[in-house]
Amino acid sequence: MARYVLTLAMLTHSVQLMAAADAFHFENQISPLLARYNCNSSGCHGKAEGQGGFKLSVFGFDPVADYASIVKEARGRRVMASAAEESLFLRKATGRTPHGGGTRIKGESNDYRTLRDWIAAGMPVGDPNAPRVSAIRVEPPEKVMANRATLPVRAFAQFTDGRETEVTEHAKYQTNHETLAAVSVEGVITTGDAPGEVAVMASYLGNVAVCRVMIPQVGKNAGRQLPQFNFIDEWVDRKLAKLNIVASEVCDDATFFRRVHLDLVGLLPKPDEVRAFLSDTAKDKRAKAIDRLIQRPEFADLMALRWADLLRVNRQVLGPERAYAYFRWVRESFAKNKPFDEFARELVTAEGPVSETPPANFFKVAIKPGDAASTLSQVFLGIRIACAECHHHPSDRWTQADYAGMLAFFAPVTSRGSKDADAILSVGDPVTRHPRSGSPVYAHALGVEEPTVNPAGDRRVVLASWMTEPSNPYFARNFANRIWANLLGRGIVEPVDDVRATNPPSNPDLLDALAKFAAQKKYDTRELVRLICNSRAYQSSSVPNASNEKDEQNFSRVAFRRPSAEVLLDMIGQATGVGDRFAGLPPGTRAVQVWDSETKQPFLKLFGRPSRTSACECERNAEPSTAQVLNLMNSPDLQWKLSHVSGNVAKWQGSGHDAEKICEEIYLTVFSRRPTKAERENAVQHLKARSDRRAAIEDLTWALLNSLEFSFNH
Amino acid sequence: MHRSRYCDGLTRRDCVRLGTAAIFGLPFATHKLLAAGEKKKDLSLIYVFLHGGMSTIDSFDMKPDAPAEFRGEFQPIATKLPGLQVCEHLPKVAKEVDKFSLVRSFTHHNSDHGAADHYMLTGYFPGPGFNGNLSPNNHKPAFGSIISKKLGARGSVPPYVCVPRMHPSCGSAHLGAAHAPFVIDGDPSAANFSVPDLVPPPVIAADRIEDRRKLLGDVDRFQKSAETRANKNAGAVETFRGKAFDLMTSSEAKRAFDIAAEPEKLRDAYGRHSLGQSCLLARRMVEAGVRCVTVDHSNWDTHDGNFRVLKGTLLPQFDAAISTLFRDLSDRGMLDSTLVVVTGEFGRTPRINKNAGRDHWGPGFTVLLGGGGLKNGQVVGSTNARAERPADNPYGPEDLAVTLCTQLGIDPQTEFHTPDGRPIMVTNGGKLIKELV
Repeated sequence: MARYVLTLAMLTHSVQLMAAADAFHFENQISPLLARYNCNSSGCHGKAEGQGGFKLSVFGFDPVADYASIVKEARGRRVMASAAEESLFLRKATGRTPHGGGTRIKGESNDYRTLRDWIAAGMPVGDPNAPRVSAIRVEPPEKVMANRATLPVRAFAQFTDGRETEVTEHAKYQTNHETLAAVSVEGVITTGDAPGEVAVMASYLGNVAVCRVMIPQVGKNAGRQLPQFNFIDEWVDRKLAKLNIVASEVCDDATFFRRVHLDLVGLLPKPDEVRAFLSDTAKDKRAKAIDRLIQRPEFADLMALRWADLLRVNRQVLGPERAYAYFRWVRESFAKNKPFDEFARELVTAEGPVSETPPANFFKVAIKPGDAASTLSQVFLGIRIACAECHHHPSDRWTQADYAGMLAFFAPVTSRGSKDADAILSVGDPVTRHPRSGSPVYAHALGVEEPTVNPAGDRRVVLASWMTEPSNPYFARNFANRIWANLLGRGIVEPVDDVRATNPPSNPDLLDALAKFAAQKKYDTRELVRLICNSRAYQSSSVPNASNEKDEQNFSRVAFRRPSAEVLLDMIGQATGVGDRFAGLPPGTRAVQVWDSETKQPFLKLFGRPSRTSACECERNAEPSTAQVLNLMNSPDLQWKLSHVSGNVAKWQGSGHDAEKICEEIYLTVFSRRPTKAERENAVQHLKARSDRRAAIEDLTWALLNSLEFSFNH
Repeated sequence: MHRSRYCDGLTRRDCVRLGTAAIFGLPFATHKLLAAGEKKKDLSLIYVFLHGGMSTIDSFDMKPDAPAEFRGEFQPIATKLPGLQVCEHLPKVAKEVDKFSLVRSFTHHNSDHGAADHYMLTGYFPGPGFNGNLSPNNHKPAFGSIISKKLGARGSVPPYVCVPRMHPSCGSAHLGAAHAPFVIDGDPSAANFSVPDLVPPPVIAADRIEDRRKLLGDVDRFQKSAETRANKNAGAVETFRGKAFDLMTSSEAKRAFDIAAEPEKLRDAYGRHSLGQSCLLARRMVEAGVRCVTVDHSNWDTHDGNFRVLKGTLLPQFDAAISTLFRDLSDRGMLDSTLVVVTGEFGRTPRINKNAGRDHWGPGFTVLLGGGGLKNGQVVGSTNARAERPADNPYGPEDLAVTLCTQLGIDPQTEFHTPDGRPIMVTNGGKLIKELV
């Protein structure tokens, strides 16, 4: 990186020093130290504004600028070759002069000596033709470790001339899971108490490598064999065996039935459906239930909601008519079970009047080519390249040139025409330039070698076919991983939209197998959903055992998941028998069907509905708050639903049933299961003890609605 | 407890002790005492945000000698402090000027609502991707969220509250929902004011509330189960449920939000309007343990008829609310432990526009800072003859952030991490407003 810019011509006073300074190379030796001691981190001198008047490029992506900052800026007062030790640069770094960042480098370390000797040698830039680092590797690349064990890793840099040098002392280390295993500045890994897998990243001059650490569960767990329902479970169990973890049992029928309803159609099963399912003795009743659910229109509603979030169906930007048309296209795609690669191609290459080509609206939301490029990378490849707009990706190989290459696909995209006949077109042959060097960058996809010319015609067609061709390493995995995460509450790569070498999948074989399956089935969403729901992994109980209670990564039990704000509101509507009304939409519309994320609805806002301003899954806020809890307990709205004349409470009260039967109806309706004996006794006692039967039913229903059991999918 | 502060935040008694230590030649005692003093800091913050931007040339930094198209219609009056003048429409504030300081040399480079709001409420100028229309915009965490994260709750009341609404830049951003403000969506000056959802609907009698709570304990099989323990988010809901019950049942919380319990006379003194009653509620809440209250008051955006609006509404309301807030805090011995900031997102153009209004002006304005152990009764810095920009000692939003954090006992260099792993410092550079500490 930046090899084309470090030229002697820019450095006025270094010529006479070159002879003595052959041994030093700023980019290869000094720059890594600035990264290692976090001098150029984004929280410090690497910030856009610098810190205390001293600015470095973040992570050292711009060595020319960094050299100038250190050596020439501020009239060269930061370094003194004649008295290197007294240089402000070193006095600050070692804390001898008050430094906001404290003492960063110890006074008598090797790194300190390197810096001092470099200054004493006259701050040489080094030979512009010196070999560069082309890759790094770590030793060992993987290791099985016990709890509370330590492991020093070593890092080696490979140079363009084939030479390899140890850079353990100079590389920077980072773990992707602090509680499972921490790593010190020196590269020593220390494991914690929990079992699992960790990726420890070493980075050096823009190159990254990973040491994968596996920490098995302690103790003897062998013996317990759980059934395997399909190939998913084979891969899950292989991984669990390596970690010495035993999966939880298969969940009971009622739990499965509720879970699969919430996941596939965003609804609670009706009491009669629950009864019928529980009394059904067919062996394949779970598979049949899955088959029925994926064919329901509510399945498309739920998928449409998720993808409308990611693809930014935003009324504020598009206006109601266009936003609605865009939303309809998303929903229809899932209703028709359009192959997902076709869906992606239609979107990426959308062209023509937006009134006729609804997916073209995407380019009305992501107007800037860079925005379109990074949004589509994130949504369809699971890769975040936005960092590389301004600097080298801190934990992946993507450079500013890679970003510009992706951007170039969208540079010709424009919307022309009058207001009523707006169209998206790809016109002209604009040249995208590297943000620092200014040299042209031709359209090329991530990891693909840069061509010497831009593709003719609509460049996006090239990108779309690269994305969806069978050899693409990202597309099928991203698709499989996102569907998996929707159903299991956590991606095999997590977060789902942050695929990189330094954030490896928790089960690469499983992810590959799912991706292969998806591609074989021609990206049929329903087939993939069906496969996953039929696995034991999906049908596991949420009750942990001694071996898996600390495991969160390996699908050894089902995690509690918070239903989205829309699903939760619909669940409350079903449980109380009183739905909500949404402005401008017909009665009976469910919250999941509200296509406009700006529709005024305090509950949805409070429970984390996203505003669709980014393509990040993280925009949907699943975090609980005190205000949410208070709302469920005390809001007049919920009380109104409980006391509604045509609501469920009124129905149960007027049914003439005895307390036992009413109790069963309440449990079947709200919890989608029958009460246990103890629960039944308790509830019946409550119903009988109160003189006001109506109030007693209301209060029992209120209690169920406020329980953890109701507000989670488990 | 009200204690006068001398020499660098130590009380008179501390000074006496220090003196004794020095006499007896115990040089380390000083250091220890100072360190102990650092730890004991337990301040609260009331941030009154004058949304739209207050015209400080018409209030705290008057320029009677400037040309007519700058100086405006109002006359300065003398205050309790010799040599300090404020606007004639702030007679009550003039009597309390010893309880706060004015930073007249405040400046920043932005004159847009939204971005400037964010700058003043978080100490960070918004970067790319900032969307001022989002509420909350969650770009960088507001001071209240930082306080919540670093200092936590005090008793059963929430650490961070917004009243009478939440400003879009008052969110917790990467600090997460746990540190988002508890929002009181309602005007405390309204006759029927109450905190939403804090108490069950009135149709539910007290015995039923008890019933419900007992039933909830009985029916929730997941409560404190192995499943809850193994699922962080379920545990979190349980935590928040605990907090919600605390809020509903705690007498301190009830007291904190029950503005009607204030004597009528004091309510009148604060002023029966949103600003006055919000300030009063802020004081009540701080008294009950809330660490940070942000009062969002609109609308100071006086593009048209600046003088009419200021004289007719805004300044009289401000005068009552802010003077009474400082006097009340002082009377209760709370001023030392309560840091008060009063500012808009910027000032207003010194040159009067054609609609007798003033427009947005970031380059020079006055910020009012008081209590919380700061040196009160100071004027820091000055602007040039036309109040356009600082003439000396310029300070900006980063400096405000550093000063607030330092005073509250939060290391300004504390680093947080965003969900995607980007490290972000509590403050973005900046320096202490040294004249105040």
